[in-house]
Amino acid sequence: MQILGPTQLYEDVIAKGLCTGCGACVGLCPYFVTHRAKTSMLFPCDREQGRCFAFCPRVELDLDEVSRFVHGAPYSGEPLGTHRQVLLAQAKGLSGSFQAGGTVSALLCHALQTGAAGAAVVTGQKDGLPDPRVATTAEEVLSASGSKYGAAPVLATVNKAIASGTRDLAVAATPCQAAALAQMGMNPLGREDFMAPASLVIGLFCTWAIDARSLAALAAEHLSGKAATRMDLPPPPSEILVLETGGRRVEVPLSEVRKLVPAGCLCCPDMTAEFADVSVGVVEGEPGWNTLIVRTQKGADLVESAIAAGKLETREPEAEAAAHLSRAAAGKRRRAFARAREQGLLNTAEGRASLRVDEQVAEKILTEES
Amino acid sequence: MSIAKHPAGERRLYMGNEAIARGALEAGVSVAAGYPGTPSSEIIETLAKAAKDADIYVEWSTNEKVAMEVAAAASFAGLRSLCIMKQNGVNVASDFLLHLAGSGTRGGMVLVPCDDPGALSSVNEGESRHFAKMVEVPLLEPADFQEAKDLTKWAFTLSEELRSLVFVRSVTRLSHASGTVVPGEIPAPRRDAKFTYNGFILDPMEGPVMSAPVTFKHGQQQEKLKRAEEIFEDSPFNTYAGPDNPELLVIATSACWLYAREALRMLNAEGKAGLLKLATTWPLPRKLVKKHLAAAGKVLVLEEVLPFTEENVKVLAQEAADEIGHKPILGKRDGHVPMTGELNPDLAADAVAKALGAQVPEVDPDYKTKAGQYAFFGAPNRDLTFCPGCPHRASFWSIHNTLAADGREGFVCGDIGCYSMAVLPSGFSTLKTLHSMGSGTGLASGFGKLGPFGLNQPVMSVCGDSTFFHAALPALVNAVHHQSDITMAVLDNSGTGMTGFQSHPGLPTDALGNEVPAIDIEAVCRSLGAEVRVTDPFDLEKTQQTLHELLETKKGVKVLILRQACALSPQRKGKKDFDMEVDAALCRGEDCGCNRLCTRIFRCPGLVWDATAGRARIDEVICAGCGVCASICPAGAIIKKPVSAQAA
Ligand SMILES: Cc1cc2nc3c(=O)[nH]c(=O)nc-3n(C[C@H](O)[C@H](O)[C@H](O)COP(=O)(O)OP(=O)(O)OC[C@H]3O[C@@H](n4cnc5c(N)ncnc54)[C@H](O)[C@@H]3O)c2cc1C
Ligand code: SF4
Ligand code: SF4
Ligand code: SF4
Ligand code: SF4
Ligand code: SF4
Repeated sequence: MQILGPTQLYEDVIAKGLCTGCGACVGLCPYFVTHRAKTSMLFPCDREQGRCFAFCPRVELDLDEVSRFVHGAPYSGEPLGTHRQVLLAQAKGLSGSFQAGGTVSALLCHALQTGAAGAAVVTGQKDGLPDPRVATTAEEVLSASGSKYGAAPVLATVNKAIASGTRDLAVAATPCQAAALAQMGMNPLGREDFMAPASLVIGLFCTWAIDARSLAALAAEHLSGKAATRMDLPPPPSEILVLETGGRRVEVPLSEVRKLVPAGCLCCPDMTAEFADVSVGVVEGEPGWNTLIVRTQKGADLVESAIAAGKLETREPEAEAAAHLSRAAAGKRRRAFARAREQGLLNTAEGRASLRVDEQVAEKILTEES
Repeated sequence: MSIAKHPAGERRLYMGNEAIARGALEAGVSVAAGYPGTPSSEIIETLAKAAKDADIYVEWSTNEKVAMEVAAAASFAGLRSLCIMKQNGVNVASDFLLHLAGSGTRGGMVLVPCDDPGALSSVNEGESRHFAKMVEVPLLEPADFQEAKDLTKWAFTLSEELRSLVFVRSVTRLSHASGTVVPGEIPAPRRDAKFTYNGFILDPMEGPVMSAPVTFKHGQQQEKLKRAEEIFEDSPFNTYAGPDNPELLVIATSACWLYAREALRMLNAEGKAGLLKLATTWPLPRKLVKKHLAAAGKVLVLEEVLPFTEENVKVLAQEAADEIGHKPILGKRDGHVPMTGELNPDLAADAVAKALGAQVPEVDPDYKTKAGQYAFFGAPNRDLTFCPGCPHRASFWSIHNTLAADGREGFVCGDIGCYSMAVLPSGFSTLKTLHSMGSGTGLASGFGKLGPFGLNQPVMSVCGDSTFFHAALPALVNAVHHQSDITMAVLDNSGTGMTGFQSHPGLPTDALGNEVPAIDIEAVCRSLGAEVRVTDPFDLEKTQQTLHELLETKKGVKVLILRQACALSPQRKGKKDFDMEVDAALCRGEDCGCNRLCTRIFRCPGLVWDATAGRARIDEVICAGCGVCASICPAGAIIKKPVSAQAA
């Protein structure tokens, strides 16, 4: 893993507009800050190596090393990533305004109740912007349910929590955030307080996010100055983003929305949070259900215990649904790899890459049939 | 003992500015007004201290234009008055100046602009002399300390003889250096002020005072200049020393006369070169100058900064070419003398040597190396920076960080004061424009209207409390009236810190120490309709939060008043609020997680980097105990203990 410093991070990610505001570089030191969901560098730091660079998922992300760390094996290249099981799931005995089946909320609540996690980092909303926060009770978890499609600085909150001594965090994280959390766990600079930043990572599927400030402005524009209290991206072919507030519902064409997607999302290869313990997404045509991918032992234990406790109901997905998901994930990854290659950011021989992976695997991914 | 009490005839050491003040007192000045600005400020300060003893009125006016108006009123009432300002202050006053030159004066009135060649304490190298020529009034330039006093005194007599304002121009090296002066008598205070206005409209002493009818008054003014020229022909302040027919005639004005004298001595050229000191530089005493030109082989003009006298002499030489023949006139225009910066004896010697085809005597190389070494190792290398405990450092820390975190490429239009230094890293390079007094807010007012053209960056301005009244106020009014979207930060440090705590309209004490009504900046801004917040810049978190709110949520004009006294102000100087300490066990030093934020970026001189220990520490002697650095340290390693709590 090539680790450089903040100057390179700034040049490669922030200056190039590839930052997705995940917050992995924020709160480690006084130089990187997040404000209204945007990451900025206040002053230059001249260190040659830093955690900021090491943690950022948009620069020098070595898929093999991260995979070895999380899954004990190099990056497989499978469309859905290394996993044990693909299930359909929904929350049981829990009510809230979930995005879909409430699986994420149910697992987080269960982890808190059983002590599998000491605290959870969830993302609510404030002033129309995603608002990551630490939750220690089921109520707090539920108050943050539902997807905010704005890219959120979840990891800034994680870093802050770690700095103030919180351990055993469960984090609901998008794929880029899950990758960053894995890099944090690898602890390349040997910092004591980063040994195990998160004990549990619940991944969220993600095709792309929207620049949070732009999304807030878009919602305000369409909802006469109000913030959206619920948003949804119905599956294709409906090319719309649904924004709702106080009984009002507007549909914004995706053509308008796609312009607001950070460039960083376009070279992000991961749709299903391959480095999480479990990953959760929506299911086309089954509104009350989630797709649940169980990946690690920890993830399997959590899911098993949640089912046993009657907090989660699962069933097998239909073969065609699973295949469809794989195709979607492979498609996103192929597009990202192609873009990265085109821009010289994949396995860059001299200089810095955005992505690194065994070249044969890279070739395979690039030539996969859609 | 105030300068007014110094007995006549006793030699004293005076700073140039004190000599000018004493000269005014000896002329029987009744009113003195000015606006602080280096290198001029000590003139008003000296007079303010002497005001009681001399029974005169002295004020720090709101700006230079007002100062000139206040002084002119005294002249219109028959009294003698003095007005002082730094070079660019004349620009501010120039509109009134033009009309005052036209209307004429009654009681003797003298304007002392102090120029700053080399811009030692300025952001310009402006020249005030051209104003005298431009508005057609006489100009005098003293060359040493005694002359600073004597010429100032005489300027009042001249002003009354001509009924015109007279310029006495000083420069930093005269104003701020000291030399021996023999004071003269001070007359009794005047009690006969009266403004007469019922006479015939064209009567300069009895009628209304104005510059109209213009052609008539303008003609009168030019007559006055002719009369001044006649008087200057015999002025004892213009002197010549040297051979009757010098190979080289050096014409020097102001402090350059001293440099020229030294240069001639250094080159042993006194037999070949003559030195004409001109104290009456506008209008030129033509006969006198012509006489010297005719006798000389060639001519070298030494002056600061622009070739003012050089050009006037050239015009004269051309007009008199038939009589005096062709005389090469060397100076700035042909590169003999630098066009910018201060002169000094070495530069003068270079110019003279070049003109004479002589060699400047080599300095002993050994001396040169040693001097170089001492300068390098002996003198501490100091950055231009804010003082320890300065509220501006804290203010700019918050402004910089808030704008950077805001992430919309916001910027700050700067203004004139100590805080101008925020163009430099010591102020985190926060200021992105820097021009004249009040211009920051004026520029911001303009930037704030560019939204419809696509400018979507937050626009800020800063100004100090004194600058606020000086010229920022009209700009603020403009911004409010035109609904410009700006945030103005008023750095209220309770005084004109840069120039030495002169009073200004926001303070409850005037130049004379009288209790006066203070104008409340906060109330003024509110009554104008701006959204106003006040915070203590030492409270970084509250300041940044407030500024974020203003930048994000409010349209129109927002004012953030950052109120905290200057570290050198009487109320704070020498008093520590906190005893500071760095806990070496907590300090992260160069590690990832800090990388020397306090000594690499924040850079208060009270913090030092101990390279051996790899830790920061506090220099107790320098630290002013403001406590601010404790809130920037990411490791909580800088500990502050309240001083009072400790004593208890
Ligand atoms: C930006 C984004 C893009 C997504 N894109 C897809 C997609 O393309 N396909 C797909 O199948 N699913 C996508 N999802 C996931 C999906 O929207 C649901 O979050 C997921 O199915 C879980 O549903 P649930 O009912 O269990 O959620 P809930 O129980 O309602 O819980 C949702 C959880 O998401 C967290 N969260 C909300 N917003 C964010 C955010 N911006 N960043 C991080 N965490 C957040 C909350 O903390 C909450 O815990 C996306 C989610 C996000 C945030
Ligand atoms: S190297 Fe360390 S201290 Fe420097 S910016 Fe990166 S995280 Fe901060
Ligand atoms: S992507 Fe995340 S880690 Fe990288 S620069 Fe942006 S906020 Fe920092
Ligand atoms: S597309 Fe990738 S980079 Fe963008 S928000 Fe989703 S996981 Fe992060
Ligand atoms: S800011 Fe704090 S941690 Fe960093 S060097 Fe200074 S004292 Fe040490
Ligand atoms: S307390 Fe800190 S910031 Fe204040 S003067 Fe001392 S060293 Fe400087």
